[in-house]
Amino acid sequence: MMTEVTGAASEQDVLTVEQPHEGPADWQPNIIAFACHYCAFAAADLAGVMRLSYSPNVKIIRLPCTGKLDHIHVLRAFERGVDGVFVAG
Amino acid sequence: MSNNSPSKKIGAVLIVGGGIGGMQAALDLADSGFKVHMVHRDPSIGGTMVMLDKTFPTGDCAMCMISPKMVEAGRHLNLDIHTLAEVVSVEGQEGDFRVRVRHAPRYVDGSKCTGCGDCEAKCPKKVASEFDQGLGVRKAIYSFFPQAVPNSRAIDAAQCIYLTKGKCRSCEKVCKAGAINYEDKGEEIELNVGSIILSPGLDRYDATVRGEFGLGRWENVVTSIQFERILSASGPYKGEIKRPSDERHPRKVAWIQCVGSRDPHNGNPWCSSVCCMYATKQSIIAREHDRQIEPTIFYMEMRAFGKDFDKYVERAKHEYGVRYQRAMISAVREEPGTGNLILRYASEDGKLREETHDMVVLSVGLQPHKDAAAFAKTFGIDMNPYRFAKTSPLKPIETTRPGIYVTGTYQGPKDIPETVIQGSAVAGRAMALLSEARGTETVTKQLPPEKDVKGEEPRIGVFVCHCGINISSTVEINQVVSAVKDLPGVSYVTNTLYACAQDNQDIIKQTIKEQNLNRVVIASCTPRTHEKLFQETIREAGLNKYLFDLADIREQCSWCHKGQNEAATKKAIQIVKMSIAKSRIQEPLKTGAVGVTPACLVVGGGIAGMVASLALADQGFQVSIVERESGLGGLLNNVYRTLEGDDVQKFLKTKIGEVIGHPKINVYTGVEVKKTEGFVGNFKTTLTDGTTVEHGAVIIATGGMEYEPGEYLYGQNDKVVTQRQLEKRMAEGDMPGNGERFVMVQCVGSREEPNQYCSRVCCQDAVKNAIALKERNPQAHVVIIYRDIRNYGLREDYYTKARGLGILFVHYEVDRKPTVEPSGGKVKVKTWDYMLNRELVIEADWLVLSTGLRPHPAADKVAEMYKVTRNPDGYFLEAHVKLRPVDFPSEGLFVTGLAHAPKNLDETVSQALAAAGRAGVILSHESLAVSGIIAKHKRELCMSCLSCLRVCPFGSPYISEDGKISHNEVKCMGCGICAGICPAKAFQVNNFRDDQIVAMIDAEVDSEPGLIGA
Repeated sequence: MMTEVTGAASEQDVLTVEQPHEGPADWQPNIIAFACHYCAFAAADLAGVMRLSYSPNVKIIRLPCTGKLDHIHVLRAFERGVDGVFVAG
Repeated sequence: MSNNSPSKKIGAVLIVGGGIGGMQAALDLADSGFKVHMVHRDPSIGGTMVMLDKTFPTGDCAMCMISPKMVEAGRHLNLDIHTLAEVVSVEGQEGDFRVRVRHAPRYVDGSKCTGCGDCEAKCPKKVASEFDQGLGVRKAIYSFFPQAVPNSRAIDAAQCIYLTKGKCRSCEKVCKAGAINYEDKGEEIELNVGSIILSPGLDRYDATVRGEFGLGRWENVVTSIQFERILSASGPYKGEIKRPSDERHPRKVAWIQCVGSRDPHNGNPWCSSVCCMYATKQSIIAREHDRQIEPTIFYMEMRAFGKDFDKYVERAKHEYGVRYQRAMISAVREEPGTGNLILRYASEDGKLREETHDMVVLSVGLQPHKDAAAFAKTFGIDMNPYRFAKTSPLKPIETTRPGIYVTGTYQGPKDIPETVIQGSAVAGRAMALLSEARGTETVTKQLPPEKDVKGEEPRIGVFVCHCGINISSTVEINQVVSAVKDLPGVSYVTNTLYACAQDNQDIIKQTIKEQNLNRVVIASCTPRTHEKLFQETIREAGLNKYLFDLADIREQCSWCHKGQNEAATKKAIQIVKMSIAKSRIQEPLKTGAVGVTPACLVVGGGIAGMVASLALADQGFQVSIVERESGLGGLLNNVYRTLEGDDVQKFLKTKIGEVIGHPKINVYTGVEVKKTEGFVGNFKTTLTDGTTVEHGAVIIATGGMEYEPGEYLYGQNDKVVTQRQLEKRMAEGDMPGNGERFVMVQCVGSREEPNQYCSRVCCQDAVKNAIALKERNPQAHVVIIYRDIRNYGLREDYYTKARGLGILFVHYEVDRKPTVEPSGGKVKVKTWDYMLNRELVIEADWLVLSTGLRPHPAADKVAEMYKVTRNPDGYFLEAHVKLRPVDFPSEGLFVTGLAHAPKNLDETVSQALAAAGRAGVILSHESLAVSGIIAKHKRELCMSCLSCLRVCPFGSPYISEDGKISHNEVKCMGCGICAGICPAKAFQVNNFRDDQIVAMIDAEVDSEPGLIGA
């Protein structure tokens, strides 16, 4: 059902929201990865065992299954200022 | 299935030798209702594996893998370890042996010694360390190695100043526990056991015999085991690669293969099976330690015959720049003044060359222990001519004396996984022999009551592990310690060298008590391998085992951020903070128990499936075999003889007869698995004919297929056959014709993309058939065109025999394969001869292709059904390449035979027995403890929207009588899909609760606000 939006944001407000953040040149995003215990977490272990290198700004939270992931986890992360969320499973 | 009825058989087993094979057997048996006595001659168990730095292909630290097992063995209630001990006599028979064991004096009372090491620090006498292979020193009172089990010290009587000269007693003065006893005379005890397992392990070839290599003369020539110690973080150079003469970092390092192996004149005639791979591993690890190192491996033949071995060698060549040079080194001499070594060899073009290297590693072979002959006499068993225990390929773990079994390198040279396989195999065999006495000699564990921590403020203890240098070389441990010590809830923080070692486990338990901790966080390695161990540790200290969290700062931090110490340290701090945040709101959890159906389903009725079935049925368990073909036997139906000459068809017919006649075995032929559900202890499988089978374990033995070649005129020319077809014709008696010429081509369909693996059986097949041809008709000509002849282990004898019979071996490289064309009634084969440096043209009456193996196509469906993974080649992937070679990661599922990887008949038999042993451990329990990590359902929040019912893969939510959702916690595997989908948040997974995950997110962000958060 369509309803008319009243008091719509002015163009300037939209721009403020849409404006991408320009980080410093050496900026590295802070990333949280949600990983399934059985596959992606195991793969992250394997990456270590094989001494594969990836950026240290990825931190992994282990889940029993990525099916366990709730949108509140993702939203919480963004709300608190995480730059990226990676779900692997 | 405990059975307390009186019986003549004794429910205890003696294991002689505490290396990895003996330990596997001991733990399997002790975990399934048998009392185990382990006798070991060193002051600590561990054998050869503990001396290794890392293992391939994963590069896991050997100590990190074996240490949890040693710890488990060391504290197992039904496993008594007798170190510094040997068996002096054995009387009695199968089921009831009386064994006398002599304990040498230790001079330290193990019940008083805390392993603090004060005595060691004080002892004035330095001795070359056996463990460090003479490269390091120990004291006269010593611990064999830092993670020793038991960890009480021992006095070396031959070196102790007091015991040899009558004065000193320094250790006695310093020992606060009063554990020193110079009057110790040792003792002799008698044990009564039903079966005996021999796992005495190996000796290494004494390479000083090969004077031309200069070991003991040139300082920078070391043996491969010395090089393992050099690589080890706990070794003489703390993991830095240095050469002994001047402790400089070597640049060019040469490995010389087959030192003392494949050499009947100066060494042993057999192939030691492991040296090609350990040299490859050492060269890769050396490069990882020090990028400046340029490794060269001088070899005769690259015997990378095991699962994924060829891929590893390819990686060494292409990713690590390891140079493989096919050559036999004739002499090594030192360059005067530099300590460098000049190696002399004839290269492939026949020219003599000299090369200078900074350091030389001799890949010394394996041989039976020096006391092997006396040992065999004590136990009353026969040896083969080489002093290994005498066995047969069809009964690979049985000695000549009933009730006495053999495992590991005493049976023949072999690597770690095969030793572990045989360890479980002998356990399975002993379980079958003594099944009626199961549970008669064992006791159950008395745990301290669980401390009630409800309502207490969190008092978290944090232990940050160095893991030798695995973590500490990249992560600044002290910074981690100080970063977390003031966090709310943290009441104690410390660092530890190896958190998993027995001494540190004791320290952790002690600390829990002293500091009154009610939660523990350990920052070390992955929870996938170590969580259980630490959970048991804290439970033993009276804490509920779920008040624990493991922060993975090794696999997911130090190992993948090498060289970025600052960033890695920062990440490690974050990881530990996240763990602490979770730990702070952990609650004690209850563990349930679930019954076990004492039955097993075996998928596949080939020899692997049949041997496993018989071994389990003999233990008293019900077995169902599902075979898609109309008859049993699988690929073995096409094999007539083993390389060693055993009659395979007779063996196969006997086994089929035993299976069909066994009252505990049901055989379903012509059907497949249609549907399966359930979990460890409680599977329910429906077959395509509608039969439903309930079972507690599954063994997957789907076998393999022979590759059907499209190359070398196969299918186009009658004169081109496979080894299998040749074998059949010979069995039917119509080969060979007089003076016929046979050309065999190896590696057809193997060791090339997309099948970059060795099929392992083809070299044995070619040599077997070639010998048979020559023995039937000495006028026959046989040429084998090969890449590497891989007659590993004692199979080398047949390669030697074949050459002696005049069979010609011509080497080829993969980029210069032989070509074939029809030529009248014959086949013309052209191949480059690298020795003669010209093309050879052979007119063959028969071209015989040594075709490789493939996994069975039916494995696809089975993998999907049981949710188990396979490697890129399609072979099932075991839970751990080294230490869990027949287990799947999911409990209750096992793999055996060709489904796992190509292997020979004797190895298939061993692995099948191992699968039966492992399954027997589960089936022997009346009930299994269920994890506390399950979803909890709050009915008061539930709206019965049925989302969970639809998504749960295990069927644990159900509609109860009141029409609302209920939850069957026994079926729950704790995946939490229900929790993810539930709109009312009525489901929460224990220890993965939403508030815990949110706490982890917050802890991560608090220490690193992102761009927007900043």
